[in-house]
Amino acid sequence: MPSMTLMLLVMTLAALFCRMAGYVAMRFLPPSARLDAALKATPLAVMAGITAQALAAGALVESLALGAAVALSLWTRNDVGAAVAAMALAAGLRWAGL
Amino acid sequence: MTAPFSAAGFRRGARVGLALSAAIFIYGLAFGLVAAQAGLSWAWALAMSVTVFSGSAQLAALSLIQAGEATLMTLAATVLVMNARYLLFGAAIQPWLSQAGPLRAFSSLLLIGDANWIATMRAAEKGEADRAFLIGTGVPLVGAWLGGTLVGVIFGAVLPDPRAFGADLALPAFAAAMMAAMVRSRAALVPVAVGAAAALAVGPFAGPGWGIVAAGLAGGAVAALTARPGVIR
Repeated sequence: MPSMTLMLLVMTLAALFCRMAGYVAMRFLPPSARLDAALKATPLAVMAGITAQALAAGALVESLALGAAVALSLWTRNDVGAAVAAMALAAGLRWAGL
Repeated sequence: MTAPFSAAGFRRGARVGLALSAAIFIYGLAFGLVAAQAGLSWAWALAMSVTVFSGSAQLAALSLIQAGEATLMTLAATVLVMNARYLLFGAAIQPWLSQAGPLRAFSSLLLIGDANWIATMRAAEKGEADRAFLIGTGVPLVGAWLGGTLVGVIFGAVLPDPRAFGADLALPAFAAAMMAAMVRSRAALVPVAVGAAAALAVGPFAGPGWGIVAAGLAGGAVAALTARPGVIR
């Protein structure tokens, strides 16, 4: 793996690019429905990919915890709270021996 | 002529940021726990939170580091894919923020995140004219994010087994919960399905890091191809 300093530099530049590029591009680019749709869809697809891989790699505890994260988020509309509760559920299930 | 950029506007934004900061602190705590689990020192974890300031991107990057798959290319691609939405955020806020002048606008963009972008767009729609509102929302969130990171990474370093606390599920739990909150229509299920399928198709062969990249690229590509030209939803 590269050094932590180099990794941090690359991540910083990538994060800076994302924060600045759209703002700067607006001076030159006309609005595009396709670009707008792609940018809106990308975070959802990434989150689905992360969740799917965790489910595929996990077992019952992971499935129950991630299912709870989705259900609680939909029910309470508090995604952060739902995620914390899901982690607590996983901890509880593991403590119970599952 | 530049728009107002005053202490009063900053304070109005900061009040909104403070209301959001408890949740951001908890999210930062989770990041700190995962960072400790990945073997990062408190200083590196804090440096990452200062310079990247994006929970989803930082957690995804950590997953690469934990899996031993972190290269400069995979890290850059992961942060770019995870933060691609910021391109839209920056574009959408440009007409309002550009009236603050370039230095103030670019400084404000450094602190932009999901929650305070939404809050600022809402405030602008309601007629908020003071462009210091955005940076006002950002300062408490940065403080909460850094505080959460620090507490999480110090606490995480003494945990005997992070799995016992469910900390290994921080990233997927946050991803699942945020995904559920963001799906507000049947059409939004398309990128979810495409992203999951792409990750499951690529991940087992190329590793989970590239599974995430594949999910983002495939979801974005399908959305772009199926968008109705000329119609911005």
